[in-house]
Parts: sequence; C-alpha cells; structure tokens
Amino acid sequence: MFLYEKKLEYPINIRKKDLNMAKNLLAQYGGCDSELAASLRYLNQRYTMPDAKGMALLTDIGTEELAHVEMISTMIAQLMEGATIEELSKAGLNGHYTMHDRGLFPTDPNGVPFTTAYIETTGDWRADLESDMAAEQRARATYEHLMNETNDPDVLAPLAFLRQRENVHYARFKELRDYYMNKNQPNVD
Amino acid sequence: MNNYYNYQNYLNQAAKKMNPPTDNMNSLKNEGIVNQNQMNMGQMNKKIYEPYEGFIKGSMFPELYKPYKIANPYEIKPMNEQAELLTYIDALGFAMIDLNLYLDLYPNDRNMIERYNQYRMQKEEFMKQYESKFGPLVTTSDALKNYPWAWDNRPWPWENK
Ligand SMILES: [Fe+2]
Repeated sequence: MFLYEKKLEYPINIRKKDLNMAKNLLAQYGGCDSELAASLRYLNQRYTMPDAKGMALLTDIGTEELAHVEMISTMIAQLMEGATIEELSKAGLNGHYTMHDRGLFPTDPNGVPFTTAYIETTGDWRADLESDMAAEQRARATYEHLMNETNDPDVLAPLAFLRQRENVHYARFKELRDYYMNKNQPNVD
Repeated sequence: MNNYYNYQNYLNQAAKKMNPPTDNMNSLKNEGIVNQNQMNMGQMNKKIYEPYEGFIKGSMFPELYKPYKIANPYEIKPMNEQAELLTYIDALGFAMIDLNLYLDLYPNDRNMIERYNQYRMQKEEFMKQYESKFGPLVTTSDALKNYPWAWDNRPWPWENK
C-alpha cells in the first residue's frame, strides 16, 4: 500500500501566473510520456518482472513517479492561480475552462485526454524495460523543450530536477535490462 | 553558493551528533568479503554526493548527473523556518529515494546500506523537530495526539506559500 508524506519531493513555489506554461506542462501531466503514464506503466509492469530486483526497482521508480505527478500538478495549479476567463482563453485554455473550469484534468497540451493505451505493458521483461528506457528518454527530451519555453527560475528549478530524475531512471532500467541479458534470463516464463 | 555551505554544515553536524564516523571499508575488509559478482556487490566505496548537493542536482551519483543548460544547480531558498526545516527533510528524503533505487540493483553494497540508514535516522530526527512545531507530515506522527485533529492543517503541499 502507499503511505502519504504531506510534502513534495522537491519544493515548488511559483509566484508568477503563466497560463501558456500551465498549458505546456500538461504534456507531463496527461501526455503519452507524462509522469502519470510513467507511474502507471511501471506499477503495472512490476507484476511480471522475473526476479526480486525487477519487482523492487519497478515498485520504487513507479512510486517516485507518483511524487512527480504531484509536482507537475502543483506547478500547473500554481501557474493557473487567479486566472481570468479572458486570460485562459488567450492561452488557448478556453476549452479547458468550458469543461473543467480551473480544475486539473489530465490531457496533453493539445487537449487530447489521457488514455491507458500509454501504459504499454507486454508481460515480457525485455520489451517492457526497453520501452521504459525509451519512455525516460522521451520524458527527458520533453523536459528540455519545457525548459526552453520559460525564463522563470521558480519553474526552471523543478523542471531541471525532474529532467535529471529521468537520466537516473533511464540508467537504472538499463542496468537491470543488461543484468537480465547477461544472465540469459528467458523473456517469457 | 552561501546557502549550499550552510545546509551542508548543518547536516554534517547533525550527522556527527547522531552517528560517530565509522570506517566502512575496514569493516568490510575484516569480514573478508570477496568481490565476485559486480551486480551482487555493487561498486565498493562508490563516491556519492552529500544529501543537499545531490538533492539540488537531482542525483546522488556524480556519474549520472548530466545537467541541461544550467552551469550551477538551483539553490533552495526557504522563506521561513518551516521551509528551512523542510529542506533538510527533503534533502535526506531524496538521498534515501536515490540510494534505494541503487540498492534494489546492488543489494550487497554494505557501505551504501550504512549510508542509507544514516540518512534515514537523520531524517527521522528532523521529522520529529518539524512535526512538533508545524504539525504532522505522516499519519504515523506523534503530532496526531494533539487536539484538535492536526492532519488537515494548511498548507497542503500544492499551496503557494
Ligand atoms: Fe522517470
């Protein structure tokens, strides 16, 4: 089960409203390479990992990704705080306002709703771990795009932190994949 | 880099009080452990950052730290005592998260297990201090003995301070 710690993994205190950035950040909230997709992907794949190392690593990275979902949602909520209907409309969030007001809803920046098709579980450790490695790289690239879209240090600091976590997760998934390859672990049971 | 050194000194002092330094390498040698399998042993005496530095960099492991666009990591700038105390908890909690991922793959790295437990005990100490002043961070906290029920105290983590 999960225990809640009433704090963020990394502090977020965004003082400047920025609706364009709120919209861009939806990529990491409800997009195909989002933190939400990552957390659900790893927490689903852990049931068919071949040994204790894989079960532990996918549980623990999946859990950290849940903390990242919380960070991204916090950033979006703070960037949208106090927004008028006109401001939301100007940033292209009029559709979001119509359906969800200022509430959070996991879509990508183009309004495409989150789908479980992003979770990508095959039950085959090699296919799953290699898809996880690629997902971490795609998320890293997305964070770089997001860092190119703002100059606000309140936004850049957590983005730089989250981007670096993708590097670490990628490295750990790769080590696990290489370990199974060297062990000649069969792909299927 | 002022904040950085302040945090690191504070954490180091807290660490000394709680844990007299031990020579991890010697205790390993004395037990005569042979390094047969790298995945099982881990890399002996692997260098890691101190918790605050690792935290602001987003990695405890220097070889995995690959920054984009920034020359120096962003410093944490707490605005009050509560946020400052939380920074120690954040840094130690982060160190635990990152060492945990490593240890999942290298469960026989005794040195890293000792570091993990050192951070865990330091974090518990800071959590107690924080919770006695500002309320519970977890539902297992002693701060929940208080009347009225303190769990719903603001701020919640997403609230702008
Ligand atoms: Fe990740």
